[in-house]
Amino acid sequence: MIRLDSVSKTYGSEAPAVRDASFDIAKGEFVFFVGPSGSGKSTLLRLMNRQEQPERGTVWLVGRDINSMADSKIPFLRRKIGNIFQDYKLLLNKTVFENVAFALEVIGRPKHVIRQQVPAVLELVGLAGKEDRFPHQLSGGEQQRVSIARAFVNRPLILLADEPTGNLDPATGEGIMKLLDRINNTGTTVVMATHDQRIVNQMRRRVVQLDRGVIVRDQERGVYN
Amino acid sequence: MLTRISYAVRETWASFQRNVTLTAAAIITSAVSLLLVGATFLIQRAFDNLLTRWKGDVELIVYVRSDADPEQIQVIEQALRSQPSIIDVDQLRYLDQAASYAEAQKLFAGDPGTLRLLTPENIPSQFKVVPLAQDSNLIRELGEQYRALPGVREVAYAQDVFDVVARVSQFIRVATTAMSIVLLIVAVGLIWNTIRTAMFARRREIEVMKLVGATNWFIRIPFMLEGLLQGLIGAVLACAGLWGLNSAWSGAVLDFDDTELSALVVTGGFVRWIMLLILLIGAVAGAVGSGIAASRFLDV
Repeated sequence: MIRLDSVSKTYGSEAPAVRDASFDIAKGEFVFFVGPSGSGKSTLLRLMNRQEQPERGTVWLVGRDINSMADSKIPFLRRKIGNIFQDYKLLLNKTVFENVAFALEVIGRPKHVIRQQVPAVLELVGLAGKEDRFPHQLSGGEQQRVSIARAFVNRPLILLADEPTGNLDPATGEGIMKLLDRINNTGTTVVMATHDQRIVNQMRRRVVQLDRGVIVRDQERGVYN
Repeated sequence: MLTRISYAVRETWASFQRNVTLTAAAIITSAVSLLLVGATFLIQRAFDNLLTRWKGDVELIVYVRSDADPEQIQVIEQALRSQPSIIDVDQLRYLDQAASYAEAQKLFAGDPGTLRLLTPENIPSQFKVVPLAQDSNLIRELGEQYRALPGVREVAYAQDVFDVVARVSQFIRVATTAMSIVLLIVAVGLIWNTIRTAMFARRREIEVMKLVGATNWFIRIPFMLEGLLQGLIGAVLACAGLWGLNSAWSGAVLDFDDTELSALVVTGGFVRWIMLLILLIGAVAGAVGSGIAASRFLDV
């Protein structure tokens, strides 16, 4: 599903953010990227949806080299990828329903599809009945659920989550992890960057550990360290 | 498809409302610059009308002394007709004193003092000569020969007046064209800036759109539509202004009925073409300016 071949990425003249990273992620896998801030977790995620281009190496997604892909094809690649962020990136002037519908609207899905899929995904993330709330009327956990609903409404093959529990208290974070686990069980590949030890140790999934841009450990059913 | 169109229209309208001051500034600047573009065309057309009328007209007038006898007039006419390679003999016209007096009545309608001095007896009769040759030196040389003939009072060259007007027209043409280009650039710059502000206000939305896989065109089109609309509204205002300006000008010039100045009137048909052109320039400049701005600021 995802493969990196000796990928390196440097920002400006600093030390490389990612150095010579290689790994394979199979369809339906759940993978944690762990490591301290600045170890290159986020950069790896950004390389996977071509928000960044590597200096060296190749990123393969669904069997395609996304680095040599034409710019005009990138939007269609991104429709196969859902993104979740620590700060949710919700649109504050839109309701819960509109935030999720927006993701379908801007890729040209017809109204009847939106009317059918948005309530279904809101039900899935546990936000049924809160369609008309605005983000500021929701708790942090609920806001993250909206962002997960938005990432998942188009049924992507891959979900990239950058510190999704970073702003949440442990109990709420746990709820979010249950939700990501359920989504993973539908066959969606989930890649999550985190430095939340408790969550990683609880889930016992594959762990890729980074230290200053270098992969120092890649372990099935791993723990944080 | 319908979703996309309704999306674009909705977003354009929302952005328009969000940025009232900047939008107004962009619209007013495009209106003024397009008005100047239109005025440039009209002024050029007016001068062209005037010059065309003169060019197709007499370029050399041989005035005959009022006391010249018919034989002398005959000699002058012979001399003129003996140069068929330089002079268009078919268009050679002789205005006798009565005809010259009638013409003077028109030419000096605004100058009764001069008119009083003229009588059908003292006015010179005249040969109106249309040269074939374009070379003004050749014509001038010929004119000097005629001046030496007995009975000739004066030889006048329309070329002199024509040159002055042509030079003035050329100057005005360059000046107004330069001004309208500068203003047009300012207008595009302002539209560019409004679009940049609009995109900055919506940077979160744009980021999300890019991440969920909206195409660049999809993101760009509402902004281009906004720019196009700004240019177009400016152009409509400019058209209204141009129409008013031209009507006022035509009214003023037509008061000088029957003089050469009436050539300065630009007819409605031409004005309509210019208005169409202005609308086109406004729309294209707005859309292209904002499209480039949108592309510049789109790389997330």
